[in-house]
This record gives sequence, C-alpha cells and structure tokens, in this order.
Amino acid sequence: MSQIRNILLVDDDADLRLALKLALEAADYLVVVAASAEEALLLQRRRPADVLVTDIFMPDGDGFEVIERFRREFPGTRIVVVSGGGKRAKQDYLVVAQLMKVDATLQKPFEIQALLETLRSL
Amino acid sequence: MPLKAYLVSLTLAALLPVAIFAGVVAYFLLAEQRETFRQGAEARTLAVSTAVDASLNGSIATLLALATVPALEQGDVATLRDRAHRILATQPDWSNINLALPSGRQIMNLQRPAGAPLPNIAQFDPLWKPAVEARQPFVSALVVGPVTGQWDYAVRVPVIRDGSVKFVLSAVVKPGSMSRLLEAQNVPPDWVAVVIDRNNRIVARTVNPQASIGQLASQSLRDALARSPTGWFHGSTIEGTVVYTPYRRSDSTGWAFAMGIPAYAVDAAASYAAWMLVVGLLGAMAVAVAAAYFVSRGISTPIASLAAATDAIGRGEPLHIAADPTISEVRTLAHALQESARAVRERQELLEREKQALQAADRAKDEFLATLSHELRNPLAALTAAAHVLKVSDPSREAAIKARAVIERQTRHMARLIADLLDIGRVSAGKVGLERERLDLAQVAGNAIRTWRGSGRFERHRVSSQLAPVWVDADRTRIEQIVANLLDNALKFTPAGKAIWVNVHAEGDGAVLCVRDEGVGLLPEETASVFDLFVQGSHRQGGMGIGLALVKRLAELHGGTVWAASEGANRGAVFTVRLPAVPEPPVQSSAAPVRRAGGLSVLLVEDNDDARGMLQAMLASSGHEVRVAQDGASALALAAESPPDVALIDIGLPDMEGYEVARRLRAERGGRRLGLVAITGFGRPEDQERAFDAGFDAHLTKPVTAERLTQALAGLP
Repeated sequence: MSQIRNILLVDDDADLRLALKLALEAADYLVVVAASAEEALLLQRRRPADVLVTDIFMPDGDGFEVIERFRREFPGTRIVVVSGGGKRAKQDYLVVAQLMKVDATLQKPFEIQALLETLRSL
Repeated sequence: MPLKAYLVSLTLAALLPVAIFAGVVAYFLLAEQRETFRQGAEARTLAVSTAVDASLNGSIATLLALATVPALEQGDVATLRDRAHRILATQPDWSNINLALPSGRQIMNLQRPAGAPLPNIAQFDPLWKPAVEARQPFVSALVVGPVTGQWDYAVRVPVIRDGSVKFVLSAVVKPGSMSRLLEAQNVPPDWVAVVIDRNNRIVARTVNPQASIGQLASQSLRDALARSPTGWFHGSTIEGTVVYTPYRRSDSTGWAFAMGIPAYAVDAAASYAAWMLVVGLLGAMAVAVAAAYFVSRGISTPIASLAAATDAIGRGEPLHIAADPTISEVRTLAHALQESARAVRERQELLEREKQALQAADRAKDEFLATLSHELRNPLAALTAAAHVLKVSDPSREAAIKARAVIERQTRHMARLIADLLDIGRVSAGKVGLERERLDLAQVAGNAIRTWRGSGRFERHRVSSQLAPVWVDADRTRIEQIVANLLDNALKFTPAGKAIWVNVHAEGDGAVLCVRDEGVGLLPEETASVFDLFVQGSHRQGGMGIGLALVKRLAELHGGTVWAASEGANRGAVFTVRLPAVPEPPVQSSAAPVRRAGGLSVLLVEDNDDARGMLQAMLASSGHEVRVAQDGASALALAAESPPDVALIDIGLPDMEGYEVARRLRAERGGRRLGLVAITGFGRPEDQERAFDAGFDAHLTKPVTAERLTQALAGLP
C-alpha cells in the first residue's frame, strides 16, 4: 500500500474545514477541501485524493449518497466518516456508515491524534 | 328484590286493611240481614199462628151460638138435632156435631141415628175432664175419630146453666181446613209450614200434606217447643232438610205453628254477598297488582335501560338514551348521567390531548438534545483541531494565526448559542424586560453587517444591503439579536457563492427588516412552523431551531410581527420583521462622545488566568493603564495605593464576592468619581439588579467581547 498523501476533506462548516485542513497540513498531508458533495466530486475528478474525509451531513446532499458515488467512481479511495450525530436522538449515522463498510468512522469532536492514527492505519 | 316485587307488595299491603275492614263490615251486614230475615219470618209466623187460632175460635163461636138454642134447655133432642144438622151443613170442614153430659156420655151424635149406642167421650179424650172442670171451651188433640175413623179433632164448648155445666157441645173438624189455611199463606214451595196440635202431631203441612197428617213433628221442633213456646231454631225437618225455623204455640188452643225455611234460602243472600265481596276483593287485588306491575315496568324499564347505557360511560362513549324518561326523577338521573358521560369523555379527550402534547414535547426535547449535541460537536471539533494546530505550529506562522481566528469565532459562536439557549427560556417564561431606547433600525442592522463582514463570516456569500433610516423604540441588545439570528439563518441555509440581501425601510407606520437569500427555501407547510421552537424543516438540517423562535418572540415582545415566505424548495426564502415605527428624535449636539476612549486607570479583578489575560490585552490595546488583582483583598490594597478611574470586578472571587469589593471601593472613594463594572457568568435580570444594588454602574456577561467592553466603558458616568 502506497503512502497516503492526498486528502479530500468535505464538511459544510467552514471553520471546522479550515481547522482540520491546518491540522492535517501540519502533519504533512496535502489537503483539498470541499463544502459540498458536488464540489467534492468535481475536485476528485480533477485530481483524485487517496482518502475522503467527509461529514455525514451536508447542505446539498445526503452524506450516504456521497459515499456511494465515491465507491462507484473511485473504488480505490479510502473513506473516513466523521459525524456530529443525527437530528433524531436514536439515529446513529456512524453505525450506518460502518454497515456501508467505510474504512473508518470518527465521532465529533475527536482528538487530531486519533484522526492521524486512523489515517496512518489505512 | 326487584322494584316490581316492591310495588306489588306495597299495593297488597295497602289493600290488606281495606280487605279486613270490608270483611268486618260484610260480617255485620250479613248478621243484620239474617236478623232482619228472622224478624220477618217470626212476624209471619205470628200472623199464621193467629190465623190458626182465629179459625179454631170461629168453630168455638159457632158452637156457642148453637148452645143458646132453647130446645137444648128443654131437653128437646129432636129439635136440637135438626138445628145441628142445619149448622153442620154450613160448615164444610165439620164432619159431626155431638152433645154429651159432663160425664162424657153422649146423648146426641149426628153421625149416628137417634137411640144408637154411643161411646163415652171422656174415655178417649184426656182433656175432657180438666176442661169440663175449668168450664172453658177447648180444642182436642188430633185423634182417629171413634165414629169417623179418620184423623180429626174436636172443638168442645161446655154449656153452663144455673152455674153448672149441664152439657158439652162438640164439633168434629177435619184437618183439611188447616191445610187450606196454610195454602192460603202462599208459602214458598221449598219452605215447610206446619200446624201441630198440643201433642205435637201434625195437623196440616205444606209439604207431603196427606202423609204427614197425624205424624209427630220433627225431633228438633219438639225439642224447641219443650224449651220455649215461641222461638227460632236451626234444625232439620222430618225429611232431613236443614232449616231455620220460627215457631209459636198458642196459649188459648195449645196448638203451634212452625215455618221451616231452608238454610240455603237464608244463607243464599248472605253467601251471595260474601262471594261477591271475595270475588270483588280478589278482582280488585288482581287489578291493583297488575297495575302495580305495569307501573313498576314504567319505572324500572327506563332505569334498567339507563343502567345498561351507563356502560358507555366506562368506555368513554356518549350516553344514548332511546326515549326521554317520563318520570322526572329518572329524567333528572338520565340528564345527570349524560352530563357525567360528557364530562368523562371530555376528560378523556383532555387526557389524550395532554398525552399527545407530552409525547410531542418529549419528541421535541429528544430532537432538541440531539440537535444541541450536533451543534456543540462541530465547534468543539473545530476548537480541538485549532488547538492542535497551535500546539504543533510556530505561533508566528500563518497556520497559527488562522487557528487563533478559528478559536475566536467558534468561542463567539458557542457563546451566542448558549446566550440564545438561555434567552429563549427566559423570553418564553416572560422574564425578559426590555430596556427600550429610541434607535435607528438601519443603523443597528448596518453595524451588525459591518461586524460580520469584518470577521469574515460573509466571505463565502454575496451579502448586500439597502438600509433607509427608520426609528423604533426598542432594546438595542434584542434588536441586535434579531438581526444576528436572521443573518445566521440565511448563512446557514444558503450555499456558498449565493446571494443574501438585507433591507431596512419604513412601510406605513412600521419599520421593516427584511433578510432575503438564495438558499434551500421553505416548503409551503414550513413557512409557519419554521418559527416554532426546535422545529426544523425536513430539508433544512443543521440548525438548532431556536434562532428563528427567538426572533419571533423578541419581535412580539416589541409589539412586532415576523413572517417567512418562499417560492419553494431551493428557491430561496424571505424573512421579514415588522416593528412599530416611532418619530425620529431631535438631533443631540453632545451625542455621547467616547470619553474614555483610552488613558484610563483601570483595576482589573479576576481570578481566572485566561479571562484576566484576555481582558488585560483588550484594555491595553485600547490604550488604558491596567493593574490586575486575583482576589478581593489585593484589589482593595491596590486601590488604596492609587485609586483607579474604573474597576472591572469578577463577581465570583476566591476570598469575597465581587459585590463586597464594589461596596468597599465605593465606600472608600468618598466623592471621587469611580466607574464600577461587574463581570459575571450570569445575565439574568436579578443578577444585574443585585450588581446595581451593590453600586456597580454596568454589568457584563461572560464571554466579554472587545466591542461590549468598549461600550461599557463609554457608558460609565
């Protein structure tokens, strides 16, 4: 398995996007960010990333659909799902994501160290 | 026991005394009737008895007339015989006339030729001797005549000449005369009238007349005659018929008359009346019981149907009563039951509604908590990441600067989130008082837009504004909250690169604030509910659902309204707030100069290192001279060394409360000017009030921003 370098980070929260980008860049990853699923797909087609780190919620699309489309178009891309929990108290999107056989899931808020270890383990 | 049985018993109980009384009355009536009958019968008996006497006396009178014939005195038997024959011919019932000496020796007998031997009468008539001695006419008993050979009786008259009995004249009479006399009485055919002689032999009888003549009277009649010459007895005839019998024996003749009246004839009327009474009573009772039964059915049927209907109450259904009961009490009961059924139903419906409301509230709470958790996780994740960057990066590098900016924005975001959370609770509970002032809505909106633009929050959207001055009488802080929440909502639901417009203008007598976006829009059903607490549109995810609710309540608190409009999903939305407009205030020449823009001597009392450092940096950057203290005692010591112009005091100090520090500072200041600003974690009105009571001039709630700090210092006296 080749060394992971390129990361596509998708989240609709600008500050979270920025802070994660900065943290990952500090760990020498190359990070491209997107605020929506559409944007993420465009960027990935232009220059495919090794790993997709995506929130399950986004304004223009269900996060699960993003995961499905990446699976179809870019089967080699690893997928890490982060989530802040569902609108419904009893829904746990991370469990659903795990059932979709994504590579890893993280519950917000998470330590950056945990994210870095997850990326290293891929 | 069923009601029917009660009513039937009641009826019988009411009838029973009547029946007893009727029985007693009937008894006396019957006795009276029987007595009347008896008196009637006795009177009739007396009459017949008198007729019998009269008949006998008639024969005596006829003989007495014959006794006056001169031939008798002269002993002329032949002439006498001739006269006697002529009399005999006029008396159809006489069979013979004879003449005898007082000794009983006959000297003339019309049934025998003159000179023929004749029996001595004294030998076969036991009454002869005493009657001759008594010198009175008499009637013999019934005997078989020695001459006639038939049952007959004799009427004898002593003939007295010169003071002594010379002869006795006798007439032999056939009983047939008595039979005719009885027949003339028209006795009812089943009654038995009987004439008997002094020896109780039957002379005449209406029943079996021929066979009875010469027979002894019945034993019961003979016993009764032995007891008393006159009376009434209950006995039987010689044929055995049970009869009531009035009877009478004549003093003058010794003969008796009796009239046997069959018992059934006497009792018939009585028993008929008794039967009528019994039948009538039984009939009346039957009618009464039947009536009671039907009346009870009239009572019990509606009650039973009510009882059946009341099952509906338990099931919470309406009470159906087929017909309005005619009995007023039952009707009252029915109406009461209907009322109670209605009450039960209403209570059940109320409970059901309350249950649904509770369930809805519970769901809303769950969703709220989930959303709140989501809302807190994003900023916390950003803060964690930014803190990590600060830890691993050189502080001077661009990454660290950006990370600090992230921390600043996210702390502010969380502070406002928490403020909104507290505010919505207080506004809902009616605990928010407005500090109204006359202000320009356009200016407030403009300030907010400038601040947000300056902090970079608009960098991903095209935000433009069109603001015309319009004045409102409002709480500045609350209006700022309204503007901020509407902007926040627009940013949250508008994709990057799309436009947002802010518009303030006067419209009629209202001041209108309008925020329009090109965002995800609203479904028609969402335009009203979007202002409800914790409610989010199905396609509008990621919000707390409290910002717009707070906008609505704050607007209403100011006497204003708020509404949302959208052309549909992904067609953008318009949120409009309309507040009552007021006239523009006169321009003031000395419009609040920022007197304390810098150069003040500030004493900062705060035990938390981070907060103290931040505030110190803010104050220093504004050009103030700052001294710091970590507790109340050292603050008072510093103030004693050199009095400050302004003291910023945290309320929760380790050694004493900030209120106490303020009071002591104020006390030591005398007349000198001192501005006191309280810093607390609580923004409730009672906290502010307590601060002002302690002598504070202003009150700041954590976290304190540079802007609010500057405003507070500018507002000091």
